[in-house]
Amino acid sequence: MKVNQRLMLSFDWIWFLALLALAGAGLLAIGSTTLGTGLSSYLGRQALYLCIALVAYLVLLYFDYHLYSDYISLIYLSGVALLALVLVAGRTVHNNKSWIGLGGMAFQPSELVKLVVIVALAKYFSESDREDLELRELIIGGVIAFLPMILVILQGDLGTAITFVPIYAALSIMGGLRRKHIVVFVLAGAIAIPAGWMMLKDYQKSRIQTVFDPSNDPRHVGYQTIQSKIAVGSGRFLGKGFGQGSQGQLGFLPARHTDFVFAAWAEERGFAGSAAVLGLFILVALRLLKGAREAKDKVGAMICAGVLTLFWFHITINIGMGLGLLPIAGIPLPFVSAGGSSLVSSFAAMGICMNIKMRRYVN
Amino acid sequence: MNLQADSNRQLIQQRLNFFYVPIIAVTVILAVRLWQLQILNGAEYALLAEKNRIRTIQVVAPRGTITDRNGTPLVENRPSFNILLYRESVANIEATSAFVTSKIGVSPEELSSILSRGKATPLYHPIVIKEDVGIDDISVVEAHKQEHPELQLGPEPRRLYRYGALGAHVVGYVSEVSADELAKGAFPGARVGSLVGKFGVERTYNERLTGDDGSRVVLVDSLGREVGLLEEVDSTIGDDLRLTLDLELQTTAEDLLAGKVGAIVAMDPRNGEILALASSPSFDPNSFSTRISLEAWNQLVSDPNRPLQNRAIQNAYPPGSVFKLIMAEAGLDEGLVDESTRVFCRGSAFFYNRVFHCAVKQGHGSVDLENAIARSCNIFFYELGRRLGISRIAEHAQALGLGERTGIDLPSERSGVMPSPEWKQRVRGAKWYVGETISVSIGQGAVTTTPIQIVRAVGCIASGGRLTTPHVLLRAEGAADESRSRPERSVAIEAETMNRIRAGMWQSVNNWGTGRGAAIPGLDICGKTGTVQIISAERKKELNRNLPALEDHSWFVGFAARDNPEIAVVVFVEHGGKGGIAAAPLAKEIFRVHFARKQSPVLITRAAPAKSGDRP
Repeated sequence: MKVNQRLMLSFDWIWFLALLALAGAGLLAIGSTTLGTGLSSYLGRQALYLCIALVAYLVLLYFDYHLYSDYISLIYLSGVALLALVLVAGRTVHNNKSWIGLGGMAFQPSELVKLVVIVALAKYFSESDREDLELRELIIGGVIAFLPMILVILQGDLGTAITFVPIYAALSIMGGLRRKHIVVFVLAGAIAIPAGWMMLKDYQKSRIQTVFDPSNDPRHVGYQTIQSKIAVGSGRFLGKGFGQGSQGQLGFLPARHTDFVFAAWAEERGFAGSAAVLGLFILVALRLLKGAREAKDKVGAMICAGVLTLFWFHITINIGMGLGLLPIAGIPLPFVSAGGSSLVSSFAAMGICMNIKMRRYVN
Repeated sequence: MNLQADSNRQLIQQRLNFFYVPIIAVTVILAVRLWQLQILNGAEYALLAEKNRIRTIQVVAPRGTITDRNGTPLVENRPSFNILLYRESVANIEATSAFVTSKIGVSPEELSSILSRGKATPLYHPIVIKEDVGIDDISVVEAHKQEHPELQLGPEPRRLYRYGALGAHVVGYVSEVSADELAKGAFPGARVGSLVGKFGVERTYNERLTGDDGSRVVLVDSLGREVGLLEEVDSTIGDDLRLTLDLELQTTAEDLLAGKVGAIVAMDPRNGEILALASSPSFDPNSFSTRISLEAWNQLVSDPNRPLQNRAIQNAYPPGSVFKLIMAEAGLDEGLVDESTRVFCRGSAFFYNRVFHCAVKQGHGSVDLENAIARSCNIFFYELGRRLGISRIAEHAQALGLGERTGIDLPSERSGVMPSPEWKQRVRGAKWYVGETISVSIGQGAVTTTPIQIVRAVGCIASGGRLTTPHVLLRAEGAADESRSRPERSVAIEAETMNRIRAGMWQSVNNWGTGRGAAIPGLDICGKTGTVQIISAERKKELNRNLPALEDHSWFVGFAARDNPEIAVVVFVEHGGKGGIAAAPLAKEIFRVHFARKQSPVLITRAAPAKSGDRP
């Protein structure tokens, strides 16, 4: 009990409240854009997911994070097995066979597996007692990261799959990269990118091409980008107000409660609102960085760095897409987008990192 | 489990510093982008968002109706629906095309031509895919509203010409404004796709008939479905016009011309009101009220009888013997003939060393002016022409409105030609031959007139010198008559002159003259026939063929009643043969119908013959 009381003292309320504020913004945006439409059930469901996410957060906070890292190989293997199961028995939503039924709700295991991979890589790389990683370790780390990635690609969910790359890269940096390995990485990237381009499906290619010329075919691919920019831009400084965003309300904005939720938010809340959300994201990122710095051990620091990478990558891709800077990819905005898998796994990740931060002085 | 070494801890801290790079870089990029989109270009995007959500739908105003002088509707509007394509809302053009071609029955070629024509109009402007659709097409579009929100029904009031071809040359027709007309600004206020008056009253009074379009400003969702009404401005119908036409007379005139090529005009000589104006063959203006199909159009324009031509005002023909009335007026006015003037007709005569023939080979014997008019003696008028000379003939003809447009309120009127030495010099660059004067004296040669000019000139003689402006518009419904405001020219015709000509014309109809075919017992009709030779009788005999195209043109012009003229009629039949046979009976029928419905017997009194010696 005493330990718990000491732990509570080091609970970072600002960080936690920032997460709640982001989730609250998400609820507001979802409510505004779906009320009075066929999507109105999203708001209630999101609130329910938030409760589940908070439970997950508190549970993960309660146990020492070493419990997770010690059993990570078991958890990892279950995660991979789950992904494989999805491939066999999963549900297909929008070309992606990445969903699995769970007591009447659909669940995307790939969202949680990202977190598992972070912990697994952190655990594996942190066991090295040298200053940097050997080639063998890099390769094994690569297998840890890319085995689930390949399964996710097979599901057809390229947006989620790509997130494994920055996680692997960031944790490799944390583990220590040798100069020659950096060269190898760069070369591998130089080969992989064109090869990957060839492997892309047509709709995926056109999504990327459209970033460079969104007006080329307004109704098809670029349409979404253009409508998103109109939504954001027309919000101007203070926004149009709750339920007043015509772009979101009248359906010009695609996936306005999920992937394009930031644009819907920006339309109704304006520059002030979008800057506030961006500010909260920066605050959370800096807390994660601080957590990494203050972590008691290497594995804690690496987990925080990995979560920071995942978190920031999502924000970059999602908001970049909403602002017409990046191709359209089905990557949710952490804490804000409607969707249980994303919300629960985001809170879970933050729970682990808060755990690490709270136990920095505990022996 | 402390970190093994401080150096290791330091390394971790150093490596964590890398993370500032993406955090700061992404923050800056996103913040700048937000600033750019929301603050710098916010107004522009706000406008785009408005354009997205708001659609202004033009509500076409119905055109004013058109009635005859008694208020019988001639032209009305009927509701109709067009299928419109909102190109902005097209999600998949292949799917839309497939639907339109398979379910709505627009051929792929037609559709692609419609689409390529539509490229000139802004994208938010719907284009008409199919017009005036039936209940089948309406159901198809309504039933597929959800899958094809880009296809919508647009109501459009359409012209309904109650009597089809009847009076078509007067009322005219409407059709889609052409790109050329739009560019020239021929129709102020017209937009691409507007139906505008192209002919007849529809054209002349297009602006008055055109109402003020209304509009509906609606909120649409991303699929183009209306989700709310923001603003509605009702359309206002154009002016309802009442014409001078008399439906019964018009019907009579058209029936009389059935199967013939020609024109009939009945006019009130006192004010220029056109009671009937028929041109044959005619066309059905209803076929234009949907943007007329190419096939139907080609058929109309390639018809050798040119049904679109209003022969009463757009075709000028040699007037033949009806021109003798103008000659008589000139001769009397110039004092070159009087009641004692007689000319002996032997059937032919020499003028300027050339032989000129009369219509009657054996001659009319000794004729005075009245006889010459009644029997249409050429020799008398050759002699009168010789005395007058071309300049004086032209002067009097022009005073009576020949060689100039009458100014009737219908489009594309022709002026005809009243030749003179100056005219010949100017147009043909040649000298006038005196022999030509002799031909002109009987309305042959270079002189050409439209039927409307003839009825106007004779109406002027009948009414004692009032050269009116013929017109078909009586008034706008609810407004004052406009006849009075029409320009009118006064021609100085002495009563004696008038009486002489009237007497000649009366005898022509009522005293075994050439116009006897128009006679109605109990009605004082005055008239004059005309027969225009296409080729000479000798030449015709040589050819020994009765080609219809070589047959003479037939004229009759007359008015009634003699002492109180209230109607003047001109009949012209192309290649009809003798005027007294082909044209006079048609005029008779017009007079009969006109006077039959008059209850007042005062107007039908048979006045005593103007001159002793005439047979009753």
